[in-house]
Amino acid sequence: MAKKQIYIVDDDESVRRSLGLLLSTFGFQTQTFSSAEEFFSMVSVNDSGLLILDIHMPGLSGWTALQRIYAGIKRKVIVITADKNGGLMERALKTGAMGFLQKPFEDNDLVNLINKVY
Amino acid sequence: MLDKGSIISNISDQLRIKRQESARGKTHNELSNTVNSQADALKVKNVQIKQWADKEQRAEAQIHIRTKAMDAATDGIFIIDVKNKDFSVIYSNQAFQTMVGYSRKDIIGKNYFLLYADIADLRIAEEIKNTLQKDESFQGEMLNFRKNGDKFWNYLRISCVRDVNGVVTHYVGIQTDVTLMRRKDFEIKEQREELLHVTRVGKLAEFVSSLAHEISQPLTSILSYAQAAYRMLEGKDSQLQEILQYIINDDQRAAEVIRRLRSLLKKSDPEVKPIDINKLINETIELMATDVTVRNKVIKIALEPKLPNINGDRIQLQQVLLNLISNSLDAMEGRDEFRELSIRTSLNGSEEIIVEVKDSGCGIPKENMKKLFSHFFTSKPDGLGMGLSISRSIIEAHGGRLEVKNNPEGGAIFYFTIPVGGGVKEWS
Ligand SMILES: Nc1ncnc2c1ncn2[C@@H]1O[C@H](COP(=O)(O)OP(=O)(O)OP(=O)(O)O)[C@@H](O)[C@H]1O
Ligand SMILES: [Mg+2]
Repeated sequence: MAKKQIYIVDDDESVRRSLGLLLSTFGFQTQTFSSAEEFFSMVSVNDSGLLILDIHMPGLSGWTALQRIYAGIKRKVIVITADKNGGLMERALKTGAMGFLQKPFEDNDLVNLINKVY
Repeated sequence: MLDKGSIISNISDQLRIKRQESARGKTHNELSNTVNSQADALKVKNVQIKQWADKEQRAEAQIHIRTKAMDAATDGIFIIDVKNKDFSVIYSNQAFQTMVGYSRKDIIGKNYFLLYADIADLRIAEEIKNTLQKDESFQGEMLNFRKNGDKFWNYLRISCVRDVNGVVTHYVGIQTDVTLMRRKDFEIKEQREELLHVTRVGKLAEFVSSLAHEISQPLTSILSYAQAAYRMLEGKDSQLQEILQYIINDDQRAAEVIRRLRSLLKKSDPEVKPIDINKLINETIELMATDVTVRNKVIKIALEPKLPNINGDRIQLQQVLLNLISNSLDAMEGRDEFRELSIRTSLNGSEEIIVEVKDSGCGIPKENMKKLFSHFFTSKPDGLGMGLSISRSIIEAHGGRLEVKNNPEGGAIFYFTIPVGGGVKEWS
């Protein structure tokens, strides 16, 4: 069975590196990006794979990226954020995300969510 | 009936008269002179008497007009006689009677300080008495009670009346009911404190939430690294795994502390209503008037009349104004020749309102321009660096922008836009 492809977009280098490392121990194929712009320029809309997207970023924010994704193709996205705000999860799901996790999160929670939606 | 003797005496009388007449005749000129001069003196006296009478009449008229004027005055006026050691009132005007609620009959002869019974502020009453007994005049405010028990703030000025020798004979007092002014001051003070409080709490909440965000990032990576390593060591090194488990546990403990901290500082939902931005600016300036005066600055306003209402949360928008005004005041601190802060509103097309806060302060160095709006950026020893970032969040949630530019004539210009007929999004 081919490994599931996971794309990770987070402006914090440590977060994306550690997440990539962690997910690879669960047998996922991972690729990391420091910005949404970088992700859009390197990954074609036709490439399969699930996107883990940080919402709070300088430049093209997670929200704009989400909107862009859902205006075009249907890529499955899990939103992660270190912000705490009551309406954030709702907004993420409404904008089209399949899941939402508050940082820091448990490895099992993340993996279960990935396996559920993808 | 005439007998002989009486006829004789009559004759002799006549003779005497004759003699006298001849004597008069001799000095006729002299005499008429005397009479004339006496008549002149009389005339002068008459004129004098008439003048005195006129003077007296005039004095009476003056007393009359003065009494009427005193009664027409809107301040309470009273006179205390010093002879009676008990501060007894010998005169009070109409306004005084109205203010204290007693009739003139009740007032005259009464100790001024007992008029307010024993509920008046005794400490101040003592202070007034001491001042007066030193022959000095008093000026101050005290809380008094009317006859019906209603409180009123009495702004009181009493000064000494002296005789020709400089001895104090009376005290004359003027008192003004400043209750309404006091109440307004009090309301402004309360509103000001509330606004400062929410602004402070808002800044603190923003501070904690930024801090929480910054800390959550490394906590996330530490946790993920440790969990990844733990899984890699599965079946290989249980001792290292145990250590990693401790790291994981402590990371989770720290995350829990942050979660709790954040739930303590939950933001309340915005309350959106139509707002007249000009009115809001005026109200906010009124709240800050004392700070502005104390710091020896002036706020000038140029508000475009008849702006359309905007939809927004008034407390949040007041916080933005407060943050911008305080920053401008800070920037002008210690520059006495630059005192002017101006606030302007205008309509940009029909879509948005622009509010501009311009100061003549130190301005912003080029290298700081980009950092101003980020969390924690401050150049002040006691600053949190939250004012601008929270203000920008609020304005963006209202669908507008908050920007800055330097004033070519010195100082900074901060301005924000608010769309006409916009709404408010929840902001994070
Ligand atoms: N009107 C101004 N003129 C010059 N510099 C300004 C002005 N307004 C802001 N600044 C600069 O921007 C910095 C950040 O302002 P901000 O209001 O965010 O924080 P602060 O005023 O330092 O602290 P606080 O959290 O108490 O408001 C200030 O420290 C100051 O250096
Ligand atoms: Mg400030």
